[in-house]
Amino acid sequence: MEEEPTIDAERGRSLEFHGGPAISAIPIGVFIVWAVFQSGVLGIGDTSGLVVGMLVGLIAGLPFVRGDWKAYADAIFEGMTQKVAATAAVAWLWAGMFANTIQAGGFVDGLVWAANAAEVGATLFPAVTFLLAGVLATGIGTGYGTTIAFVTLVFPAGLLLGTNPILLFGAILSGAVFGDNLAPVSDTTIVSAVTQNADIGGVVASRVKYAVAAAVPAFFAFLIAGTTMATTAPATGSGVTAGAAWGLLHLIPVAIVIGTAIRGRHIVEAVSWGLATAFVLNVLLGYFDLVEVGVSDVLVFMAPESSGLAATFDTAPLIGAVVETVPAGEAGIGGSLYNGAVGFFPLIVLTLLIVAGAQIMRRGGGFEALQNWLLERVATTVRRAEVTMVLGTAMVNAMVTINTAAEIAIAPYVRTLGRRFNINGYRRANILDANTSALGYIFPWGGGVLAGYSAMQTLPDEYAWFTADMIVNPAAVFPYVFHGWFLVAVFLFAAVTGFGREYVSDRESEEVSRV
Amino acid sequence: MSRLDAFLAGLEFRTATPQYQPGDELPVIVTGRDGDDALVRIGDTRLRLPDTDVAVDEEVRIRVTAFDADRSTGEAELV
Repeated sequence: MEEEPTIDAERGRSLEFHGGPAISAIPIGVFIVWAVFQSGVLGIGDTSGLVVGMLVGLIAGLPFVRGDWKAYADAIFEGMTQKVAATAAVAWLWAGMFANTIQAGGFVDGLVWAANAAEVGATLFPAVTFLLAGVLATGIGTGYGTTIAFVTLVFPAGLLLGTNPILLFGAILSGAVFGDNLAPVSDTTIVSAVTQNADIGGVVASRVKYAVAAAVPAFFAFLIAGTTMATTAPATGSGVTAGAAWGLLHLIPVAIVIGTAIRGRHIVEAVSWGLATAFVLNVLLGYFDLVEVGVSDVLVFMAPESSGLAATFDTAPLIGAVVETVPAGEAGIGGSLYNGAVGFFPLIVLTLLIVAGAQIMRRGGGFEALQNWLLERVATTVRRAEVTMVLGTAMVNAMVTINTAAEIAIAPYVRTLGRRFNINGYRRANILDANTSALGYIFPWGGGVLAGYSAMQTLPDEYAWFTADMIVNPAAVFPYVFHGWFLVAVFLFAAVTGFGREYVSDRESEEVSRV
Repeated sequence: MSRLDAFLAGLEFRTATPQYQPGDELPVIVTGRDGDDALVRIGDTRLRLPDTDVAVDEEVRIRVTAFDADRSTGEAELV
């Protein structure tokens, strides 16, 4: 069995702090305070800002080290070289490239087309939007991206029909929760599986039952609320693009990724197959003029036009498809492969630093102290342990509103609490991810809500008929994120009743062979 | 495990105190120590491994040697 390095409270403590083991929590503590201030209080959802917060935290702990400071520095390296961080980084890079490539191929337009083609009225529109946003988020794995895309493209379409804007925003956020929770290429799914030593395909398969148990009542809630809540007068005007049906063909690479991951292939292999399929699809869609996409939307070298060699390549056959000449100041690399991978760089660096901070807390004894308190005083039975995991995850997500960062911070505790009751990796990953996915889209200061709110603020500039009073206040939407609420409720129910609980002896997660 | 089983696994209400029979072999995580004995807690069921030298958090395979269904406690040994 592979040694999991993220938790090992019994391993010798090699770091001592002036003030005792509790002081070892300073790096993580500073980071949490920073994250609460930055994202919770000021509403700044900048992951790179959190990177600086974690760096400041790591420096702040240094003066309290008793003896040689080298041990502290060693703990940082020890934490950063753990497999959990590297695995998540690899999975994120692949997932980012895939998600961007199917978006370049008009996947969002396809879903918007489907919403229009269904010709649903104002009352059914929220329920249908919930389903379509759920499909998009399951495909591209990013709830934030789904929220922004749907607020920009589908939200105005709903208002034109007269749909209640608050309910519609709630439906979009609910779809984002669904996909963030279930998609194998979702960053939160990846973190939940990796930190609990379970394979991603198995985690996704095992979580379908919870996702469906929450999505079915959520769908009916949107149907009922759609018919009972006041609708607005249909906005007049136009400007909403109809979208192209061909983009829906990108459901094929999405199905390939989900299918191969669940069949037990490594996530790198599963996403690579999906990526290759999406690329071929984009080339064909572009070649036959069905979607406005080309090879250069996937990868492009933008060379300065002063370079003679670049000009030669630009006009050359084949290679000319990925080489463009631009003014010198705009030179760079572009396309979905580049943007998809680069988009995850801040989160990867943040993860490396958080696991470094966690390692200092572990080496200094703070982790063990908190863990023992939880085990001796709070999580004294398996039901209480699972309820503690649900509420603990919810609490950390309420404070650190960038949900992946919150998930990484709480993951070691979920792991230890669960293992002390022989709860298997799939169940632990599911408890961790469901509550992480849900709450980031419920609280008014959550990253997902703010992403949608920011996108909404651009709509008055884009559509002449869209007035400022159509913008939904983040504080108004939280009761209507039905899928998020039902997901949390399903897990509280599951913790108390044992629904879906699996012990290590019931089913061993395929921890070693693949991610 | 078939693909369908992966979706259906765990689709039940699982007891907090799983029951075992002497002779059952199962993979477990060691969850505690009491002197020379190792302790394994599965939900709220407790198994004791007398005079067993394994560390907490280690993953091992055990064979149940005795089990009291009323108290959900028992003894086991390493396989």
